[in-house]
Amino acid sequence: MAAVQETIDQVRQIDVDQYKYGFETEIEVEKAPKGLSEEIIRFISAKKQEPDWMLEWRLDAYRRWLTMEEPGWARVDYPRIDFNDIYYYAAPKTTSGPKSLDEVDPELLKVYEKLGIPLKEQEILAGVDKPRVAVDAVFDSVSVVTTFKKELAKAGVIFMSISEAVREHPELVKKYLGSVVPTTDNYYATLNSAVFTDGSFVYVPKGVRCPMELSTYFRINEKNTGQFERTLIIADEGAYVSYLEGCTAPQRDENQLHAAVVELVALDDAEIKYSTVQNWYPGDKQGKGGIYNFVTKRGDCRGDRSKISWTQVETGSAITWKYPSCILRGDDSRGEFYSIAVSNGHQQIDSGTKMIHLGKNTSSRIISKGIAAGVSQNTYRGQVSAHRKATNARNFTQCDSLLIGDRCGAHTVPYIEAKNSSAQFEHEATTSKISEDQLFYCLQRGIPEEAAIALIVNGFVKEVIQELPMEFAVEAQKLIGISLEGSVG
Amino acid sequence: MLEIKNLHARIAEDGTEIIRGLNLTVKAGEVAAIMGPNGSGKSTLSYILSGREDYEVTEGEILYNGENILELDPAERAAKGIFLAFQYPVEIPGVATMQFLKVAMNEQRKARGEAELTTPDFMRRVKEAAAELKINPDMLKRPLNVGFSGGEKKRAEILQMALLEPKLCVLDETDSGLDIDALKIVADGVNALKSPDRATIVITHYQRLLDYIVPDTVHVLYKGQIIRTGDKSLALELEANGYADIIGEAA
Amino acid sequence: MNMQTTSRQTAAEAALIDAFNQHVGDLPGNGAVISARDRLVDDLKTNGLPTRRVEAWHYTDLKTLLRALPAMQPAGLVAAPAPLVETASVIVMQDGHADGKASVEGVVVGTFDAMLREGTAAPGLSVIDGDDTIGKINGSFVRDGYVLEFPEGVEIEQPIEIQALHGAGQIHTRFPVSFGAASKATVIERHVATTDGQAFVSSVSDISLEDGADVTWIVLQEQGSSDTHLGQVRIRVGADAKLRLFVINAGGKLVRQELRVDVAGEGADLQLRGVNLLGGDTHTDVTLVLGHNVPNTTSTEIFRNVVFDRARGVFQGMIKVALDAQKTDARMACNTLLMSDDAEFAAKPELEIFADDVQCGHGATVADIDDNHLYYLMARGIPRSKARAMLVNAFVAEIVEELDDEALVEALETVISGWLERHA
Repeated sequence: MAAVQETIDQVRQIDVDQYKYGFETEIEVEKAPKGLSEEIIRFISAKKQEPDWMLEWRLDAYRRWLTMEEPGWARVDYPRIDFNDIYYYAAPKTTSGPKSLDEVDPELLKVYEKLGIPLKEQEILAGVDKPRVAVDAVFDSVSVVTTFKKELAKAGVIFMSISEAVREHPELVKKYLGSVVPTTDNYYATLNSAVFTDGSFVYVPKGVRCPMELSTYFRINEKNTGQFERTLIIADEGAYVSYLEGCTAPQRDENQLHAAVVELVALDDAEIKYSTVQNWYPGDKQGKGGIYNFVTKRGDCRGDRSKISWTQVETGSAITWKYPSCILRGDDSRGEFYSIAVSNGHQQIDSGTKMIHLGKNTSSRIISKGIAAGVSQNTYRGQVSAHRKATNARNFTQCDSLLIGDRCGAHTVPYIEAKNSSAQFEHEATTSKISEDQLFYCLQRGIPEEAAIALIVNGFVKEVIQELPMEFAVEAQKLIGISLEGSVG
Repeated sequence: MLEIKNLHARIAEDGTEIIRGLNLTVKAGEVAAIMGPNGSGKSTLSYILSGREDYEVTEGEILYNGENILELDPAERAAKGIFLAFQYPVEIPGVATMQFLKVAMNEQRKARGEAELTTPDFMRRVKEAAAELKINPDMLKRPLNVGFSGGEKKRAEILQMALLEPKLCVLDETDSGLDIDALKIVADGVNALKSPDRATIVITHYQRLLDYIVPDTVHVLYKGQIIRTGDKSLALELEANGYADIIGEAA
Repeated sequence: MNMQTTSRQTAAEAALIDAFNQHVGDLPGNGAVISARDRLVDDLKTNGLPTRRVEAWHYTDLKTLLRALPAMQPAGLVAAPAPLVETASVIVMQDGHADGKASVEGVVVGTFDAMLREGTAAPGLSVIDGDDTIGKINGSFVRDGYVLEFPEGVEIEQPIEIQALHGAGQIHTRFPVSFGAASKATVIERHVATTDGQAFVSSVSDISLEDGADVTWIVLQEQGSSDTHLGQVRIRVGADAKLRLFVINAGGKLVRQELRVDVAGEGADLQLRGVNLLGGDTHTDVTLVLGHNVPNTTSTEIFRNVVFDRARGVFQGMIKVALDAQKTDARMACNTLLMSDDAEFAAKPELEIFADDVQCGHGATVADIDDNHLYYLMARGIPRSKARAMLVNAFVAEIVEELDDEALVEALETVISGWLERHA
């Protein structure tokens, strides 16, 4: 993602605050009226020319949602959301659906250029030494373009917006959508099922190793708009795919809701690697504005010997509520969760994972690094459970928190549940601050304080950074440094 | 180069006075040894020179090339050429030694308004300096000081000194924890850096190190004051007779 | 956040309210005590027993687990068992009643019954927080207990054993204990079933350590296989005080043992240890809330659990470090051996940290016996089952060996090995 470094630097200079992606773009949009009702859902479904079964699926979810209560167990605090004060659909007017790059509004392309997201295939091809990344760009409620589709199709890989997939591959969508995160799963997932507008769809057929990294870039632009994307990735037997997700939003005083659902399915011997760099607008220094990031991400290791790995770098959002999880259903399947969660200012993070061991000889690994600064609250919440039949389940969890300054909080809430005597679980957690000795050592070598903290913090998170694809890793390290700016003194 | 005048300093947290009217002058090109019994304030002096916030200067001044440096933070002092080789080098997990060296060198260059080093130039310098000190390049890929042996840590300190090219080197008990072979390597490294525009302060407990790094002046520190100054024969006298006589004289 | 939707009253909830209405007339206490009890019962009536939706009771859904309440049926006087340590001073509770004549040299001994009647007990009949169901139940029903006051500077050489002998029925005891500045003592709080009848016991120990006190407090719970035991130890630890708190669960059908510790004085040092021996068809929950509330305090917590048969074990351990509690050093470990395929254990070691200059950590493991150790013993000719038993025994006995009183260590080891022999 570091492809257009100069542009990023320029954008940084434009911004007044530390958040580098806070600009807003004037783009003509078409919106559904504010609020949520069956009519709105019908409107969204009609806009997307969905088949009846999809509409019914949405309406079912909506009716269920009306009976549910917003969860209150996470350690986050925010005023009640008025779900009728949100636009559930906003799309750039010129785009009636994903099309080829030439047809995309040049204003939109500029946005992505400004964000450092390469959309022009020719330019990407020109850069010989850089790995190629196929991108699905989602702007507010719709996917505006998906690159490298043709080349991927040659390998049999389907990569398109989920709206397109509903129309073009209904059999796959029908089979897998909601099979990992059921429509009734939780308040936000159910809401998402009712109103999701776009997102990415990936199918990697049997035995295929996806020839390039796939990625989605989410951008919220419109005011008072919720983003409800839905992503579905299926790796058929023996397939492999690595998928990256990035996100930003403009700086605004109002809070905006992002309630996404991501479902991963790995069949026998398949492997999915899902990486996120989450950089939604976190709000200003006083805690005004910012994205509410209430996300349900779950992977199903459905097949034997399958593997799902989540890596996340969470630096943005006013509130993050997110637990990318693995259901280790297949025998010998493996789940991994690598996380860096940085909170500064008034940010609140309650994030972690669930590793649900169901099959035999399943294993999981959790490495979580939390960094709290400012007056932020940073909570790791994770569950590891071995069910009765999960013979030889193995888990290793390492969960470290670093505090910068004495007004923030770091919390660790693991739930460890063993119902099988052959399970072996190992959980370690530590909380501490950057040691004065380390800091002084760096200073004595002439490294200024902020750079020294960035250096030490990057050392602290190294284990997780290593799990990211190369290009993302560089970006992530910079992002962590930026996120912690102003945290000392 | 360095002029310390009537320095008084205490531990910031509890107010314990450690340095009580210390005077010391070190000229460019000079190697000065500071010796003294445990608890005399040797390490404290090295921390105060480098600007550690745990200590508070209550009186006096430290002039470095004529400039009072007390208001400068540790990084600013480092950029001006003050280097402290730590008695106990700190481990920093996850930060590769190589990466650390590069950041430190470039930050100092930036602070001095010099251009940053190119990667090949940096690599070349590190390789050369490492070879001089018999440091295995693999060690430099490991996180800074993490899992290094005592000798490796001290060699890594001298490597940093060589690369950062300071003007005033302060070696705090660099001989502690070293066997004789390691001591020789470290001393050779220090001696190789001797130059007419560079001063070195060797803080040590024992004469042993001074056999290899020969001092021009020897100062005895006791209860936060320099109570005696002489040439290298003073160190030998201390070795032979201990501190008792000198302390007795001073009292 | 504990959003509890009011649901239908369960039989046990109804029985609790009924029991109160029936016995309110003969529960000891003056006006202040009666109004304190009323408030607590009202709270129970309104909120009911906690369900798994209440985070503090996540793994012990009391509403479901507590099916019925045994009728009040005192067993009458029984012969007191021998004390754990021969030389101990023993004071005995029979079916929840203290002996008004009990005495221990050097210690001021009174009864909680008297405190209730005088009304001095009223302020203590309160809850620590909304999740304090044990405080609610005990405060509503408590009749008696011992009140111990260790004068400043007193050193009691021999352990003091409080024998709480429980027959069948409902028994609610409370032990307010204050250790004066620089006093030193060892107290064993021992709950023993005396009949096979079903008992429903709640017991609260309300302990304070003044500055510099040096205290060992041991809770040994050996209730019967059909008993419910709701125990709570509330402790406030003063400056430079030293506390060793050992909790051993070796009985009961449904057990919740809460440890609520407030580290309130600088320089305090705590060592908390727990051994849970779980077997049969039982549910045992140890919940620790440890608040480091001032700077410069240290603690270590080690819990060892062995789970046989269809037993279910729960450990919730929260270390809280308050905003100003800089330089806190707190370490917690919870290690579990699951000995049967139907055994279960859930651990939730939590850190809640608001101060930055701290060193805190926890570790939790669930595992089987180390194969290397087993192999080593077998290679020395010890048969597998014997070798396993030795290793399991060592796994838990290790904890009590930290006590410096040899006689006490030996006594507790006997309790542990006796239990293991009956269950392995």
